[in-house]
Amino acid sequence: MNSRLSLSRARGATLGIAALLCVTTACGDDDALPVQNQTPIISAPLAMSVLGRGNLVDRYTAEVYAHGNFAYTTTWGRRGALQTTGNTFYVWDVSGVLPVLSDSVLAGTDVTTIGDVAVSDDGKLLVVPTELVPGSVLIYDLTNPAKPLLLSRYTSPSITRGVHTCEVARVNGTLYAFLSVNRSATLSKLEIVDLSDPTAPRSVLVRDMGNPFIHDVFVRDGRLFTALWDDGLVVWDIGGGGKGGSVSDPVEIGRIRTVGGQVHNAWWYQDRSTGSKKYVFVGQEGGGSIGAASSGDIHVVDISNPAAPTEVAFLNIEAGGTHNFSVDEANGFLYAAYYNAGVQVVDVRGDLGTCNADARSSDGRCDLKKAGRHHAEGLRSAGMPVYIWGVHYLNGFVYASDMLNGLWKLQGYTR
Amino acid sequence: MVLVCVPALAMAQEHAHRMDDSTKGISFGGMAVVLVTQVDPAVRGTTLREAYLSQPMFMLQARSPNERIAARVTWNLEGAVMRRGELTPGIYGEGYIDRRHPHTALHEAMLVAQHALRGAMLSVSAGKGIVPFGSDDPMMRPFQKFPVNHHIAQILERAVVIGAARYGIVALEGSLFNGDEPESPGDTPNVDRFADSWSARASLAPLAGLETTVSIARVTSPEDAEGKGLNQRKVHAAARYETAATRGVQYMLVEYGHTGEYRRTRKAWDFSTTLVEAGGALGPVRFALRFERTTRPDEERTEGDFRSFRPLLDFSILGRSRWDAGAVNLSTQKRIGAQLAITPFLEIGLSRVRPTVLPTTFVPADFYGASRLWAVSAGMRLHAGQMPARMGRYGAGRTSPAQDH
Repeated sequence: MNSRLSLSRARGATLGIAALLCVTTACGDDDALPVQNQTPIISAPLAMSVLGRGNLVDRYTAEVYAHGNFAYTTTWGRRGALQTTGNTFYVWDVSGVLPVLSDSVLAGTDVTTIGDVAVSDDGKLLVVPTELVPGSVLIYDLTNPAKPLLLSRYTSPSITRGVHTCEVARVNGTLYAFLSVNRSATLSKLEIVDLSDPTAPRSVLVRDMGNPFIHDVFVRDGRLFTALWDDGLVVWDIGGGGKGGSVSDPVEIGRIRTVGGQVHNAWWYQDRSTGSKKYVFVGQEGGGSIGAASSGDIHVVDISNPAAPTEVAFLNIEAGGTHNFSVDEANGFLYAAYYNAGVQVVDVRGDLGTCNADARSSDGRCDLKKAGRHHAEGLRSAGMPVYIWGVHYLNGFVYASDMLNGLWKLQGYTR
Repeated sequence: MVLVCVPALAMAQEHAHRMDDSTKGISFGGMAVVLVTQVDPAVRGTTLREAYLSQPMFMLQARSPNERIAARVTWNLEGAVMRRGELTPGIYGEGYIDRRHPHTALHEAMLVAQHALRGAMLSVSAGKGIVPFGSDDPMMRPFQKFPVNHHIAQILERAVVIGAARYGIVALEGSLFNGDEPESPGDTPNVDRFADSWSARASLAPLAGLETTVSIARVTSPEDAEGKGLNQRKVHAAARYETAATRGVQYMLVEYGHTGEYRRTRKAWDFSTTLVEAGGALGPVRFALRFERTTRPDEERTEGDFRSFRPLLDFSILGRSRWDAGAVNLSTQKRIGAQLAITPFLEIGLSRVRPTVLPTTFVPADFYGASRLWAVSAGMRLHAGQMPARMGRYGAGRTSPAQDH
C-alpha cells in the first residue's frame, strides 16, 4: 500500500480519535468547559509520485490514450521557429518506468491538429480524428500496437470543419465512433459512425446539437452522455436507456445545466465497491490562455433519476481548470487533467452528495475539497510550466499528456 | 433640396481627408485608395507584397435647409475588391488577424433629427452607423493603415439609436445598439439583438480646437452572432486637437482604451491601448506620426494564416501579445479641378511584438519569423466631391461649436 496513503489514514484516524475524546469529555463532565467549534482541518492533497517524462518539445502534445504496453499521444497547432504542425501522433512504449518514444505517424499533410485519440475496447483499432479543414477520422489497425496500420480515412460533409473529439464505444455488440464537430458556418453536430467494417465506416446519425459547442461524449451500457456546453449534460437512450432509443435515433432521457455551464466532458462512474451507478462527473472548461492559464470546475451530477439529474457536488481548484478525466473505478479515484494545475486526484468512492455543513456551499452542493476528497495533485510543482491536456489511468499508472513537454508517467493510488 | 456640389475648399489641403461637410442640400462624395503594401516578415519569415483597391466608398449626405434633418449613407465596396483583408501587422477583429477586415457594403445609413432648445442642441439619430464610443473612425485619420487598437477604440457598423445633447462646450451622447459584429461584408445587424448593448460618451471642448472625451460601453457577445460569446466592458478617454493653421502640427490625438472580456461577471482577460498620433504640413508635404502600445488576443488561426475562429473555440486564446507600433506617413495633395483630389503617399510602419503571458502557445517570434515587423505602403488616395472631415459623430454629438459650421 502506498506509504503516503497510510500516513494520511493515520493522520485522519488521529484526528478522529481526538475529536471523539473531546466529545466524550464534554458530555461526561458537567463542569467541563464547552467544546469550542473547531474549523475542520482539511489536509493538503498528497503529492503524486512522478516516475518520469517522455520528452517532446517540437510539437504541442494534445490527448493521450494508453493500451497495453503502449500509449498514443496526439499533437496540436503549430510550434516553434519551424511552426511544426500538429499533424502527427506518437507511439510510446510505456512498459518501463519512463515513456520511450517508439514511433511517429503522420496523419496527413492537410492536418493541423489531432485533438483526440481512442483505442477500441478489444484493442484492435486506433481511432484518430483530425482538424481543421478538411476534417476526417483515421482508423488504424493495432495488430502490432507499436506500428499502427492505416485501414481507412473517413470523411463526410458533416465533418469538413474538423472533428474535435472522437469517442469509440460498443453498443449492443456493434462498435461505433462518436464524432463531435464544432460550429463554424453550420451548427455544432454529433455524427455517429458504424465501425463494424473499419475499412468502410458508415454514418448512422448526424444531428445538430450544442450551445454553441458539442465538445465530447461518453457512452456506456446503451446510454449516451453529450457535453453540450451551455446546453449542459444531456443523457440519451441509444439502446440501453429504456426509452426506445437507438444509435441511429437517440432519445433524450434527461438533461442538466451544471453550475456555470461550459460542459466540456463527462464520465458516468460505476463504483465497483458499492455497485452504485448514480454519479456522472462533468468537466467545465472555463476558458483561458492556452499554455498558461485555465479555469473550470468538476461537477458531480446524480442521475439516480436520469430524467431529472441533479448536481450534488463540485471541486474547484484555485488558478486551474479541468480538461479531461480518467477514472480508476476499481479504487474509486478520478484523475483529472488540469492544464497549468497539473493532475488532480479526487476520491470519488461512496456518497458524494452528503457532507456536513462546513463542506456545503451556499447553493447546497458539497464542496469536495472541504469534504476532504481532494486526494492528491501532481506536476503542479514539477519545476517547469506544464499544461496537462489529458490523462489516462491504466494498470496502476497515470499517463498525462503535457502540451508543453510531452508525456508524463505518474504512480496511481490504491486503497 | 437642390443638388449642390461645393468645390473642395482650401481646408482640404490641411488634412488628407478633410472636405467641407457643412453643405446644405444633397451632396455626393467618394474616395478610394490604390496602394501596394509590403510586410516583412508577414508570417514564418516570409515577406508579403500585395496591391489593393482599399476603402472604395461612396457617400451621400443630405441636410434640410433648416438643418433639422440630415441623412448620410455610405457604401463601401471592400467586400467586392478586398475580401481577403488588408495586410496590417497586429490588427485584429471580426475573424481577421494581421489583416484589417473589409467593411460592410452598407457601411453607414443614418438619419438625424436635431433641434435647438434654449441654447442647447438636441438630436436623435438612428440607422446603421458608428456607435458613440472612443475616437474617430481611422478611415478619416491621416494614415492608411488602421491602428492595432481599432476594435478597442471604436465600435462600428451597428444598428444604433443615439440620443445626443450639446450645450456650449459640453456634449453628451448615449446609444443602444446590437452587440454582434459583422460576420462578412454582406452581413447586416441582427435585428433580434438590437439594444442588447449600450454606450455613453461625454465630450468637452474647453478651447478652440481642443476636444476631450470619455466613453464607456457594454457590448454583448460581439464575437458570436448568436449571443453566446464573451461580453465586453469598454472604457476610453481621449484628447484631440485640431487647428486651422496652414503649417506645422495641425492635428493631435492622444487616447487610452481598455476592453475587458467577461463571461457573466467573471473576467476572462483584458486588453488595453495607448495611442498618440499627430499630423501637419510643411509646405506642400503633409506628415503624420503615430505610436501605439496595444495588447491584443492571440487567437487560433484557421483557413490560412490570417483568419481566426468565430466564435472562439472553447472561448480560449493562445496568448496575449503587446504591440509597440510606430508609423510615419508622408503625402502631398494635388487638386484636379474643383471636385477631385489625388494624394500620393508613403507610409512606413515598424512594430515590435512580444508575448505578455508566459508560457504561451503563440510565440510571435516563431509565427512571424521575427519580433519586429516592417510595413511599407505606397499609393494614392483619390477624393471626389464631398466627404466629411470626421466619421463617428452625428447630430448634436458632432464637433464643438468652435469647430462647427
